[in-house]
Amino acid sequence: MSQIRVDQLTKRFGSNTIVDELDLTIEEGEFVVLLGPSGCGKTTTLRCLAGLESPEGGTISFGDKVMYGGPKHADVPSHKRNIGMVFQSYALWPHMKVRDNIAYPLKVRRQKDALRSGAVEKAAEMVDCGALLDRYPSQLSGGQQQRVAVARGLVSEPDLVLFDEPLSNLDARLRDQVRTQIHQLHQRLGFSAVFVTHDQSEAFALGDRLAIMKGGKLEQFETPQRVFDEPASDYVAAFIGMGNKLELTRHADGWRTSNGDRIDLGTRSPERGGVEKVTARLRAADLRLHRAAEEVPQGSVLLHATVVTTEFGGRHHDVLVDVDGEKLTLQADTREHGSWLPTAPEGTPVVVSLRPSDVRVFGEDGWAIADSQSPLQVGDTAGANAR
Amino acid sequence: MSTTLERPATEPSGSGPSLRDRTFGRVTARGWRARLGYGLVVAALVYLIVMPLYRLQSRAFEDGARGYQAQYGRADTGDVIWTTVQLAVISLVIALVLGTILAYATSRLPARWSFLRVVPVLPIVMPAVANVVGWAFLLSPGPGYLNAAMRKLPWWDHLESGPIDIYTPTWIIILTGFGLTSFVYLFVSAGMSAISAEHLEAAQMSGSSQLGVFFRVVLPLLRPSLIYGGGVALLLGLGQFTGPLLLGSNTGVKVLTTEMYRRVSESPADFGAAAAAGAPLVILGLVVVLSQKLLLGDQKRFVTHGGKAFKSPPKRSWWAVTTVVVYGFVALLLPLIGLILVSLSPFWSSTISWDLLTFDNFRTLFQTRDIVDSIITSLVTASIAVAFCVPIGFVLATLLVRGRRYPVIRLVGDLVSALPLGIPAVIFGVGFLLTYTQPPFILYGTRTVIILVYIVLMIPFATRLQMTALLALGETYAEASATSGANSLVTNLRIILPLMRPAVLSAVALMFILLTHEFAASLLVRSATTQVMGTRLFDLWANGSYPLVAAMAIVMTVVTGLGVVVAMIIGGRNVLDNL
Repeated sequence: MSQIRVDQLTKRFGSNTIVDELDLTIEEGEFVVLLGPSGCGKTTTLRCLAGLESPEGGTISFGDKVMYGGPKHADVPSHKRNIGMVFQSYALWPHMKVRDNIAYPLKVRRQKDALRSGAVEKAAEMVDCGALLDRYPSQLSGGQQQRVAVARGLVSEPDLVLFDEPLSNLDARLRDQVRTQIHQLHQRLGFSAVFVTHDQSEAFALGDRLAIMKGGKLEQFETPQRVFDEPASDYVAAFIGMGNKLELTRHADGWRTSNGDRIDLGTRSPERGGVEKVTARLRAADLRLHRAAEEVPQGSVLLHATVVTTEFGGRHHDVLVDVDGEKLTLQADTREHGSWLPTAPEGTPVVVSLRPSDVRVFGEDGWAIADSQSPLQVGDTAGANAR
Repeated sequence: MSTTLERPATEPSGSGPSLRDRTFGRVTARGWRARLGYGLVVAALVYLIVMPLYRLQSRAFEDGARGYQAQYGRADTGDVIWTTVQLAVISLVIALVLGTILAYATSRLPARWSFLRVVPVLPIVMPAVANVVGWAFLLSPGPGYLNAAMRKLPWWDHLESGPIDIYTPTWIIILTGFGLTSFVYLFVSAGMSAISAEHLEAAQMSGSSQLGVFFRVVLPLLRPSLIYGGGVALLLGLGQFTGPLLLGSNTGVKVLTTEMYRRVSESPADFGAAAAAGAPLVILGLVVVLSQKLLLGDQKRFVTHGGKAFKSPPKRSWWAVTTVVVYGFVALLLPLIGLILVSLSPFWSSTISWDLLTFDNFRTLFQTRDIVDSIITSLVTASIAVAFCVPIGFVLATLLVRGRRYPVIRLVGDLVSALPLGIPAVIFGVGFLLTYTQPPFILYGTRTVIILVYIVLMIPFATRLQMTALLALGETYAEASATSGANSLVTNLRIILPLMRPAVLSAVALMFILLTHEFAASLLVRSATTQVMGTRLFDLWANGSYPLVAAMAIVMTVVTGLGVVVAMIIGGRNVLDNL
């Protein structure tokens, strides 16, 4: 068992192409997260890996074993793929006790040694469910059920563990707990995994690499840090939390917003000729609020704006401001602005500042314009896939 | 067994043929095995269900459609068809009105009285033959108990007989309407449970009265279930056999089904004419089944409703309790009382001799060899047929729910499994009699032929009930098993079947109940030596041994009632809800 390779995977439902010639590799022991909004093909890709869907084309291989496609037109059924899977709805069988649920993969795969040597108990201990072995799933909380489901997915030490949005059905607190537990287990056991989610924080927390999908294709496939620092496209940037968007136009003296504020893009300014318009994206946390232009620190870019609404968020206020028709959100420190901000009427003029290094710039085709000092890498296994 | 684990719910319809073909080109060995398995089961069913119908029609068309000429050349043909239509349509109207009122009433029962919910379904548990003879004992013009009581009223005290004559078409129709009410009720109450309480409360807040809510909100929302339930009831009404045969034979009330029976029991039997008499019913059944597939094609309508159920408003509705109780008394208790009184009397007369009441009739019954045999035959044939139906139904349900890879087999399986619901049991009876009195399988006079026809009659129930359960289970449990390393056989045995146990048990119970009081098909395939309870009762009726008839009807009711009790113990209290 070494690498898991997906080549040119294509899956259609009727005339809809859900997965479009997708290439993906999962190294041994790697935790890959498929991230994207609903309908981007991430769950279908996972189900093709599991053998629960038959794709229309492409190849899936686990190490040197071809699971789908190849010269012999293989289509290995799920039960012969040596995988483990954790479902969104837990899918614990309600007529079996926790013990029998966890033992099931070992029993049907006839792994008698593992059964005898207490693998079931060990797996339950791993997810802190050792005391629940003789209960039925209906007697467990959602978090406990999903931990048991994780134990069931891991118990037979499969070649690949598949997670299909396993945390979406849990409430916020439990979600964090189970997420941490999955992370710990992966660090301890080093299994290969594919994890599907639409939640960027889950993806950042768990993934060795993130595969961000759009329309059945990979948009970017890199480490969380790289994705966070250098989103490959406007789509990725928007999806991972760079919600603020400014349309910029080239003028004789540099780039300007539509209301004329000048923005120095520094090393990110497109060198290519003919680029006259770009989209700049910014995180809410990277914008500062000021009451007057004099407060803006040296080296920051200044934008003139008006307040639209403010919401109290504890340590900060979430503020929506209007920059000549474009709406930006930012977080204003409560200690600094709490005295005047809550009572500021709509239309109050303010100043917003940002550091040029926090700005990410995208061309009209949506793809990132690379920082001239650290060239952007996209889809490290196959650059052609991303472009 | 199924090996497919694809998820139909995510698959939009209208998949491109070229893609499908490419996938088929790659079907692995397991795919072919499953296809072969499904193919064999469906082929066997096609033979079992379609062959008798085919044999009948080819007989009817022999010698230049001589069967059709013989049947429709008769002088009374117009009368027969007119009576059939009247019987179906008027009894349908009665059933629709009563069924809807009852469904509304049970939804408005005060909490303490909610157990009355089961009352409208109970008449299904009472064998049709028992019900019909029960009413005959009450409303026979001469010795009928109710007639006798009514003649004590001052304005009727001059009458020698009557005032009601149950042997007339009018009363046969009314009784049939009563019998169909339960079926309509089942469909309508299912539809009603899909109407949320908010709809009703909103209407009441807007100022509607209870009656206004019913006519302006409930009734329009129920239209789909009324149309569907009405369609089923219309087919059942057209195929009515028991009532017209038992009550109408001597007074010359003829419908198509009784004509079929008469043509076959004449000597020599005229199968061609019988087939011709049944043809309109077969065609209508086919049309209904096919159009249902076209209109409602998707099985989604079988999925149980989620969300907030139709909830009784806090206001207690005593009229609801009264309505349900009155219906229960009239439809169930009255005929039962008639049966009990006659079964305990040495002879049937209009006056009850309380000091002569005796259990002698039951003693005679259990001392008569062939009556005991008929009870045993009923139990044995019903049990064996059910034992076959459950696995066949499971295979069909799996095919219908998960068999998108086998579109042709699936379509055939779907139609074949629905057909016996649309075509009256009498027609299958005649078809089986014709088919199995000649090569290659001469089975007439054996229990086997009874079992075979019972299997055919129950396939729709076995399939639909298990299909509902499979759909409700969803795909994830099976997928979790497959990704755990279990093949489809292990998945079915260790995951799916245990999870479907309640549904399987209630299907078993229901089929057992329906089969132990099966009458129409049994009457045709029975022989003098191989009888079931219903046919033996009919013989006693024909001989005029009324106290024994009553005792036999009671025995049948008790056997079925025990079946219900057993079913409720093992399958839960909702067994009858699954109908």
